[in-house]
Amino acid sequence: MPIILISLLLALGLTGPAAAGPLDGPGAPQALVCSACHGFAGQSQSNTMPILAGMAPWYFKKSIQDYAAGKRTSPEMEPYAKQVLQFGVDDMAAYFAGQKRTASPVKLDSAAVERGRAAAVQCTLCHGVSGKGDPAKGVPDLTGQPPGYLRHQMLLFKADRRSPGDAQLKVIKALMLTIPDEQLADLAQYWSSVR
Amino acid sequence: MTVSTRRAFLQTSGTGLALLAAGCAPKVSDFAQKTGRRVVVIGGGWGGATAAKYVRLADPSIEVVLLEPNKEFVSCPFSNLVLSGVRTIESMTFDYSRLRDHGVRVLHEMATAIEPEARRVKVGDGYLPYDRLIVSPGVEFQWEQVEGLAAAQDRVLHAWKAGPQTVELARQLQSMADGGVFVLTIPPAAYRCPPGPYERTCQVAWYLKTRKPKSKLIVLDANPNLVSKAALFRAAWANYPNIEYRASNKVVKVDPGAREVTTELGDKVKYDVLNLIPPQRAGTIAVQADLVGADKRWCEVNHLTYESVKYKNIHVIGDSTIGLPVPKSGNVANAMGKICAVAVVNLLNDKPVPPMAPGNTCYSWVSDREAIAVVNSYKIEGGKVVQIEQKLTPGQSEMWAQNAVGWANSIWHDMLG
Ligand SMILES: Cc1cc2nc3c(=O)[nH]c(=O)nc-3n(C[C@H](O)[C@H](O)[C@H](O)COP(=O)(O)OP(=O)(O)OC[C@H]3O[C@@H](n4cnc5c(N)ncnc54)[C@H](O)[C@@H]3O)c2cc1C
Ligand code: HEC
Ligand code: HEC
Repeated sequence: MPIILISLLLALGLTGPAAAGPLDGPGAPQALVCSACHGFAGQSQSNTMPILAGMAPWYFKKSIQDYAAGKRTSPEMEPYAKQVLQFGVDDMAAYFAGQKRTASPVKLDSAAVERGRAAAVQCTLCHGVSGKGDPAKGVPDLTGQPPGYLRHQMLLFKADRRSPGDAQLKVIKALMLTIPDEQLADLAQYWSSVR
Repeated sequence: MTVSTRRAFLQTSGTGLALLAAGCAPKVSDFAQKTGRRVVVIGGGWGGATAAKYVRLADPSIEVVLLEPNKEFVSCPFSNLVLSGVRTIESMTFDYSRLRDHGVRVLHEMATAIEPEARRVKVGDGYLPYDRLIVSPGVEFQWEQVEGLAAAQDRVLHAWKAGPQTVELARQLQSMADGGVFVLTIPPAAYRCPPGPYERTCQVAWYLKTRKPKSKLIVLDANPNLVSKAALFRAAWANYPNIEYRASNKVVKVDPGAREVTTELGDKVKYDVLNLIPPQRAGTIAVQADLVGADKRWCEVNHLTYESVKYKNIHVIGDSTIGLPVPKSGNVANAMGKICAVAVVNLLNDKPVPPMAPGNTCYSWVSDREAIAVVNSYKIEGGKVVQIEQKLTPGQSEMWAQNAVGWANSIWHDMLG
């Protein structure tokens, strides 16, 4: 091959020793900054940070917009959400959606999971029997998320601190108000256990 | 909790490989010849360990050699909790076995010189040739800036590189008599971890308040005010009347015999236990290799690739850098490690470097269970890193302490898991 052609191919990234790696592709390099909290490729290792791997793009985008607008208040996420909007939310949403999701490695309490299972019927109306959510109703997937994160979000709904006053979330918030805090912890354990 | 069980969480797999690697530990002479493309990384701390791992993740065809004298990694973040006894040093100590599983060749050696023209690093009597070099040696102390300090390095503790000094300072604090005076001195900015000394103030004050209520903590700060999260720290300090904070009190002399420090203003302050955090500059190898700027302290770099503005094919990351609007934090060093790794791999593969910006989150523990945080996000504008926003927690809470634990577990895994 003539040298000029080789260097042209190299410049276009069409050849070279390595095939496209896990850090190539739109959104991937910009998502590196998220792994400090959310884990490599959005696969959270901790109890408080949600898993982003395999997240539906519509819900990723909504979350980022809600944080940037201060509807969901989080001193951690508000600045990062603005960074995502700066670099392109669609690319990053597609990048995370494309990552294989593995359930949280946080150890669960099997007794709590069983108690949660019994109480979870009231959630399935919106989140589905599978817990995987429903994009048509704007309902996200709960399964496999870390229990600490799920519980915290339920407490925020209960106190009307997640998107306060949002008419779309009236029903879920009213529901959370009827559930004692201990049972919220059980529900979190249960949904975390669902695959 | 034992060292090995705590460490176990990072070693979810590949223990067999790690043992194998330990059985035939590599030597410098194994790397005298370079066959394929090679990246050498100096320093296995927050920046270097991350960069080494991510070069391998981005392109496993590139050989990565990591030089780090210490066999174990001890986290500075969370190490202030060792002073208050809230955490053990073992709970933040990890080995490098998972990096070996990623194919990083870890050499527990010190780099002694860099030869940019020959593109090689000197280690003892041997040389390691490289295609690109990543330098992340952290900070070195400017002992000469405080009279009497150079001669008393072994007795006057900094505990600003987590490890034996952290444990020894905790021991001194615990054995101090009730009614004793603990003196903490803070150097002029720029130094490693802007909120770190104020978090330490909280942890020592919390310990004294709970265990030695007649004791006092005197903080001698060279700066005119708290360098970071001032209002949040001051609010937290309202719970600790045992703190006596003196701004603009730069310590210029220490006399361990008389157990006394002297400030620039000539005030002499007696102590029972002293923690003197000396002024800082880039790690020694960066200074020796002339990577530092006119100030002879810090290294200027390209904001997209972290390549030195002075030498080609040498990248500098972490605390040693200057010129970006970012704090000297572990979170930033980790972000720079990832960005630099992707940049280096793209450059070696003759591909364009995508624009990538770091991020920063610094949690600080203000008691045994509550934390505060500052968060910064950045963008790239005109080839430079520019801050988008800085956000503080509205107050202190147990929730942010839980998020701090989540952050630590995630980022330790990101670096070394
Ligand atoms: C008490 C304290 C609390 C902190 N808390 C936080 C926090 O909560 N959050 C946060 O983000 N940051 C925190 N930091 C800051 C953080 O620890 C540093 O910013 C971070 O360690 C910088 O990473 P680095 O890679 O530049 O240096 P380091 O992590 O120090 O790594 C440098 C490594 O290079 C090695 N080295 C040096 N010279 C050579 C050589 N010639 N050859 C081979 N190896 C060499 C050293 O042995 C060392 O392991 C804290 C710091 C302190 C002291
Ligand atoms: C300092 C830690 C930290 C970093 C870094 C971080 N996040 Fe988050 N993230 C959090 C926390 C904490 C939450 C939960 C906040 C809350 O209470 O709503 C969260 C929540 C989210 C959610 C909502 C998930 C859900 O199920 O609703 C998304 C999406 C998200 N982050 C994306 C990102 C992206 C993308 C990045 C990188 C640009 C990033 N985060 C960086 C800490 C972090
Ligand atoms: C009326 C419909 C509805 C019901 C019933 C409902 N949810 Fe939801 N839930 C939602 C919607 C809509 C959202 C998304 C909110 C948003 O966009 O901010 C949501 C979000 C959540 C989240 C946050 C997920 C995340 O990733 O941040 C949790 C946790 C949750 N629901 C738990 C539950 C549990 C547990 C139950 C049963 C006790 C339940 N929900 C019942 C509609 C519902």
